[in-house]
Amino acid sequence: MAIETATPVIELRHVDKHYGPLHVLRDINLSVAKGEVLVVIGPSGSGKSTMCRTINRLETIDSGEILIEGTPLPQEGKELAALRAKVGMVFQSFNLFAHKTILQNVTMGPIEVLHTPREQAEAEAMELLRRVGVDSQAAKVPAQLSGGQQQRVAIARSLAMHPTAMLFDEPTSALDPEMINEVLAVMVELAQEGMTMVVVTHEMNFARRVANRVVFMADGQIVEQNSPDEFFDHPQSQRAKDFLESIKGH
Amino acid sequence: MSANVSMRDALYEAPGPKTRRRVAIGTGISVVLLLGLIAFVIRQFYVNDQLNPRYWSFFARWTTWRFLLRGLAGTIRVAFTAGIIAMILGLLLMLGRISHNRPLSVACHVITDLFRSLPSLLLIYFFFLVIPKYGLRMPSFWMITVPVALAASGVLAEVFRAGVNAVPKGQSEAAMALGMTHGKITRKIVLPQALRIVVPSLVSQLVVVVKDTTVAYVVSYPDLMQNARVLISNYDALVSMYFVVALIYIAINYATNQFSIYLAHREGTSIMSRTTENPV
Repeated sequence: MAIETATPVIELRHVDKHYGPLHVLRDINLSVAKGEVLVVIGPSGSGKSTMCRTINRLETIDSGEILIEGTPLPQEGKELAALRAKVGMVFQSFNLFAHKTILQNVTMGPIEVLHTPREQAEAEAMELLRRVGVDSQAAKVPAQLSGGQQQRVAIARSLAMHPTAMLFDEPTSALDPEMINEVLAVMVELAQEGMTMVVVTHEMNFARRVANRVVFMADGQIVEQNSPDEFFDHPQSQRAKDFLESIKGH
Repeated sequence: MSANVSMRDALYEAPGPKTRRRVAIGTGISVVLLLGLIAFVIRQFYVNDQLNPRYWSFFARWTTWRFLLRGLAGTIRVAFTAGIIAMILGLLLMLGRISHNRPLSVACHVITDLFRSLPSLLLIYFFFLVIPKYGLRMPSFWMITVPVALAASGVLAEVFRAGVNAVPKGQSEAAMALGMTHGKITRKIVLPQALRIVVPSLVSQLVVVVKDTTVAYVVSYPDLMQNARVLISNYDALVSMYFVVALIYIAINYATNQFSIYLAHREGTSIMSRTTENPV
């Protein structure tokens, strides 16, 4: 697949992070081009979620550099908030605002951060909710929705910010099996529309079908990266072979 | 979700036949003991001539009740004002403590712990005996209200902080990811949820405020307790008067507790499973 050679949307350079004695990220170097769908896989504890969270600084790093569209990630304050606004994030546990309606969840960002007028924000939000198929639930609160519906709302909430890239941190891991596909379908559609995506997931079929590149992590390191077909059919490292063997049949 | 599972359900195993029998026997024994205790109290009252009409007859007079009710109004005025001040101050102390401004945070932490650990009587003496020496004279209403409010604000700051800590971390992370600033996240996401969580404990904390007001006699503020003391010396009726006053305090605090239970249920259901009312 042709990847533009312009400034990468997301770039990590020599990123290191420790949790006490635990070296969770070891010299991570990664760049994500515009429109690219990057899927990160690996055994649990490999640091893939942590890496995903460093990209909008929900996790700090000890050394190295993270750039969003060529701009170093600010350390704090309004500059950091402004950069976060450009990178959407979807969490494993949805994290919808429990005290707000579905519609208010989606309009929160545009109204509070982008200062979009309320009517416009609500119209856009309804359009997004229609796209992810939960517009009929707009007046409810998150606890009244199924996990799959909540996660689709969470995606709509991120999209409402018109992000330049989206991070997905195990978006289907907390879902009942029958709800995984409805969320993946929304993500596939996003990918086809050219959204730049970093997806941490265990959904191998999704990775094979949608990813431009698969990154395999283990013990805080990027062990190998390749096109999905190459990676799944001809893994190079022993770690990747073992991992793929262990999840066969899933 | 689990909002309707009460603590009792969660920690309570349904009893089997043996346990049920044991519970029945225990209940029987306690009822007998309780009745015995009541009989003993009444007997002691009788033996000590406390049931003599001269200790009770003045309760038939309206003036007695009017005087007590005036005291009750004083108690409620102090408790209410102190409660409001304590809530505002407690909220500010908590916000200061969780702020990213280090000196402010430390200062609020120290003040919170200070108010929390000082007995309210000590604070009252401070406002009653020490502060006037430095030229600040306050009416007796404020001499009781301010120290009671200060003492409660320390506790309430901790109640609020517990509420803030009880809001799942994912809520503020999601807000951060949207690009909201720390202040906005606190105002729009964390505080509204934290307040809902703490409303019940907040109200039951007001019971403590009501009880604290009873030391108003120190500053001669005419609250329920102070007025009861006046009546006691007038009628020389210590036991009967304290008995009635105790019942009034129990009634106030029982009502307050019921209110907090009501709020707990209402808030619990409204946040977890609000139905389709509240349309957009």
